[in-house]
Parts: sequence; C-alpha cells; structure tokens
Amino acid sequence: MQILRIEVCDFRNLGLVQEAPHARFTVISGENGQGKTNLLEAVYYSLCLRPLRPTHGAELVRSGSGRASIQLLLSRGAVTETIEVSVTASGRELRLNGKAAVDLDRWFSGTAVVAFTPEDLSLVRGGPERRRRFLDRAVFTRWPLFLAESRDYHRLLRSRNRILAEGGPASVRESFEGPLARAGARVVTRRRAWLTEVAKPLAGAFDQIARIPHGLTTLYRGPPEGDEGRVEDWLRGELSRRAESDQERGFTSVGPHIDDLRFSFGNLDAHRFASQGQARALVLALKIAEIENLKEQLGFSPLLLLDDVSSELDPDRNRQLLDYLGSLSGQVLLTTTDPEPLLVRLGGRSALWRVTAGSVVAE
Amino acid sequence: MIPGAPEPLQRLVAELGKLPGVGERSALRLAFHILRAKDGYAGTLADAIRGAVERVRLCSVCCALTEADPCALCADPRRDASLVCVVEGVADMLAVERTREFRGRYHVLHGALSPLDGVGPEQLRVKELLARIGAPDAPREVILATNPDIEGEATALYLTRLLRPAGVRVTRIAQGIPMGGDLEYADQATLIRALSSRRDA
Ligand SMILES: Nc1ncnc2c1ncn2[C@@H]1O[C@H](COP(=O)(O)OP(=O)(O)OP(=O)(O)O)[C@@H](O)[C@H]1O
Ligand SMILES: [Mg+2]
Ligand SMILES: [Zn+2]
Repeated sequence: MQILRIEVCDFRNLGLVQEAPHARFTVISGENGQGKTNLLEAVYYSLCLRPLRPTHGAELVRSGSGRASIQLLLSRGAVTETIEVSVTASGRELRLNGKAAVDLDRWFSGTAVVAFTPEDLSLVRGGPERRRRFLDRAVFTRWPLFLAESRDYHRLLRSRNRILAEGGPASVRESFEGPLARAGARVVTRRRAWLTEVAKPLAGAFDQIARIPHGLTTLYRGPPEGDEGRVEDWLRGELSRRAESDQERGFTSVGPHIDDLRFSFGNLDAHRFASQGQARALVLALKIAEIENLKEQLGFSPLLLLDDVSSELDPDRNRQLLDYLGSLSGQVLLTTTDPEPLLVRLGGRSALWRVTAGSVVAE
Repeated sequence: MIPGAPEPLQRLVAELGKLPGVGERSALRLAFHILRAKDGYAGTLADAIRGAVERVRLCSVCCALTEADPCALCADPRRDASLVCVVEGVADMLAVERTREFRGRYHVLHGALSPLDGVGPEQLRVKELLARIGAPDAPREVILATNPDIEGEATALYLTRLLRPAGVRVTRIAQGIPMGGDLEYADQATLIRALSSRRDA
C-alpha cells in the first residue's frame, strides 16, 4: 500500500493540506505545537477509522469549523482508490471512490498501518491500560474485524456496568453477561493469537537490539489458557460468581479490560527492573516484530507512522531503528522538530515537509 | 431562529426541526414548501397529522399501531394464533410481513433492552407479551426476531428465560442477518431464510 496524495481540511489545527508524500520517507518537521502529530493522526484516522490518541470525535474538527475531512489517494495492490472521511458534530461519513461506503472489509483491504508514538515508549513501565491499548492496536492492524469485536465487547461491558451501578434486576444483568463472556473470549483469543504469531520475530529482534543476556519471556495475564469456548465458559462463570462484589464496586472486575501483558528478562520482572534503555529496546523490538509479522502474513510492508520517536531514543538505538527502516520497502511518515540528522541518513529517498501553525509546505 | 421571519413561520420551522433527521435548513425548506403549496395542502397535512395522532393507538393484543382494536392482523382468523413473532418495532413487523411467508401473529416490544439508554423491561411491552402466554388461546411457539445486535441479542436471552418456564416453545431466528444489522433493512430472501431456519433459543 502507498499513499499517493493527502488532502486534509479543518482536521484539528490543520487548515487545508494538499501534498504528495514520498514513496519511502516523508519527514514532517516543525516547532512544537504546529500540527505535526495532527497530520499523522489524520492519516491514521482515515485509514484505521480509530483515533491515534484517545479522543472524542468532536475534538477532531478544527475549532470554528463545522466539518473536518481527510482524503487519501491510495495505491493498494493493483488499484488506485480514494478514501474520504468527514467528521461533523453529528457523526462520521465514509466515502470510498466517491461513493458512500458501508463495507469496512473493503475499506481496510490491502491496508496496514503501524504507528509508533512516544507513548509507546512508556509501555513497559507504564500502567496496564497502555499495554492493552498497544496490544489491541496491533491486533486490529492484523485483523481489522477486531475493530467491531472490541467495540461490541466494550458496549456490553458498559451495559453491564450501568446495570450494576443502577442496581438493575439480575435477570437483565444475566442477559448481558452471556454475550459479554462471548465477546470477551473473542478479544482474549485474538490477543493471544497475535502474541503467538509474533513470538518468533520478537525473540529475534529482542536479541539483536536489547543485548540483554537472558531471553525475553512474554505472558498474557488473563483467563486460563484454553480455546475460545473454554475462555467463554470461564468468563461467564466468573461474571456470575462476582456479581455481588461487582455490584458493590459498581464495575466489572474480570475480563480483557483488566488483563495485562507482562514481560520478564530471565526471571526479572521487566516492569519493575528494566532500565529506561532496556525498556525502550523492548518496545523497539515489539514494533519490529509487529512489522515483520505483518510483512509475512500480509505479503507487503505496512505504512509506518513515527511520531517524534527519534528524540526519545539514544543515538545507538536511533541508528538501529533507521537502519531497520531503511531495509524495509514500505512508506514511512515521521515527525521531528530536528530534521537535519534524519535527512542526512535518509538521503535521496526522502521528502521534507514543514508544518507551521496548521499549514504544511513541501520543501 | 431566522432573523426577521414572522413569528408563525419561526414556530413551524422550530417544530419541524424537532423531527428526527431534520436539521434547521431542511426544516426551513419544508416550511416554505408547505406555505407555497396550493389546493389546501397545508390543511390536508394538518388534518392527517391530527387524525393519525387521535385515531392510531396500540393494539391491546400485539401492541402494533392500529386504528381498530384489536388490529386487523390479530382479528384475522386465517392467521395462526399459535405462532407469535416478537419484533422490536413496527418497521420490523412490516419487513417480516412483506416476505408474505409468515402466517402467524406478532408482538411488538417497542424497543430493546438497552441499559446505556435507560431502557429496561418496564419500558418495553413485555408485560403484554407475558399476558398473552398466560391467556386461554396462548401461542405454542414464540419466535424471537429482535435485531442481531448487542441489545437485540440480550433482549432475546432475557425473553427466553422469562418465557420458557411458562411452558411455551421459544425459538430465535437464525443468524442469516449480518451481525450488527437491522431487521428492517435485511433483504427479503435473507429474512425468509432466517425465519425458516430458526432454532430453539
Ligand atoms: N480541534 C482543534 N482545533 C484547533 N486546534 C486544535 C484542535 N485540536 C488540537 N489543536 C491544536 O493543535 C496543536 C497541537 O498540534 P500537534 O499535537 O500536532 O503538535 P506537534 O506539531 O505534534 O507538536 P509537538 O512537537 O509538541 O509534538 C495544539 O496547539 C492544539 O491546541
Ligand atoms: Mg507531536
Ligand atoms: Zn394486534
């Protein structure tokens, strides 16, 4: 997949943007607060139909405007297509090749986007919700259908929580628990399937980058291992067993929204003992493993969106990252406040854009 | 507010604008259309609205919209009273009717359980359904044809547990309808398949 052209209008602080990115590297530069991340977000949002950072839909529209729109001209497989997303206060509208689109399979087909943001770097030492978000984003990239599955799960979860909070009758609560257990088992099974797929590339990337003598162990902390049906049964049992205590707390205390992803080096818990550098190396290895797995499973290199990652890595890891990116064949959009070192390394395979107060100019 | 427009026009626009899917601009367009239309169209429209509101009510048996009570469907002796198809809304009932395959009767819930929208069993026509199960000419089978989305599924589960102890056979239409889809929009072939391949809930 390749983006041939980007058109953005009134998305966050961006005014009108019309540019053609480079087939390989587009360096998006500018001072702080000018709209670099917003531009990456526009691309991510239109391709993935979910925000890059947690947001409310209305915040996506430029203040003072009633409507934000993002249009991408894409080359996917053998075809050239236009996708267009517009956001207003009343919702979101999708158009594929100019026609109102409802078939999300078509929307996502031939598309894979991997984003790498400074938030990812705190994955290891931050709270479990960071790791769940990371995992879910990776799972969604691998299986786009997961967007609907995870949305169903969260709607069911909010429904049960509302019933608990309002002291609704057990018969109504139980009617939502069966579907909740089923949707939860689907989320858990998807996450575990992804972890199984990336296990090998992750071990390889970790050995190369981290240079930590003990290998990496990854553990999904959640329901007991088992096929989807077993997980569903277990979740249903737990939901009913915890009904009373959950009612007191006012929320659901079991399920994929509580699960965690734990890492250890040898027998050291990475979340407590990893140094800053080791933690970042692990994140870098996870991203590389994700990309390698997508290449293998989908047969093409995903689009990479790197938000200000260089400034967060030490020079050694930076070099490893850029070397790795250089070895890929896909398109990369990356933001930075300091483009010169990047341009030196990327040479002729890159374009430079400057972002100033919401407008974008190609140099 | 339309600055400078006469007060009665403002009121009309405001009321039209309360209709679902009608924004201020379409409300204004509709209002102009009504004002300009000839041959007493406005009077006819007003009469139609008043007539519908005054004469259309819920059937005391199936809770569908009707003028006569019980409704034509409930009063039709050719319809099989032993089979009741439970739907969320009148539009769903009309969708099933359009297939001309189903010869039983209906029960309209007027919604689905939705904790997030504050809809519990009391907001739905569940009591009326239970009353039918307990009545002398009770149906032998209840087909749950709520939408295959989250709320529709939960409603079907709820009704299954509620009705089963009453000794009635409870079935769920097959998932021929795409998950997250709307019964009202399902095409007829899909709907016919879903109805004929129902299974015990
Ligand atoms: N809906 C909106 N309307 C107008 N401005 C917005 C909107 N949403 C965000 N902004 C503005 O966008 C700016 C942030 O843009 P962005 O996060 O892209 O900056 P950046 O160039 O990535 O900066 P940094 O280098 O600090 O990461 C902020 O000034 C913010 O107020
Ligand atoms: Mg930024
Ligand atoms: Zn009736």
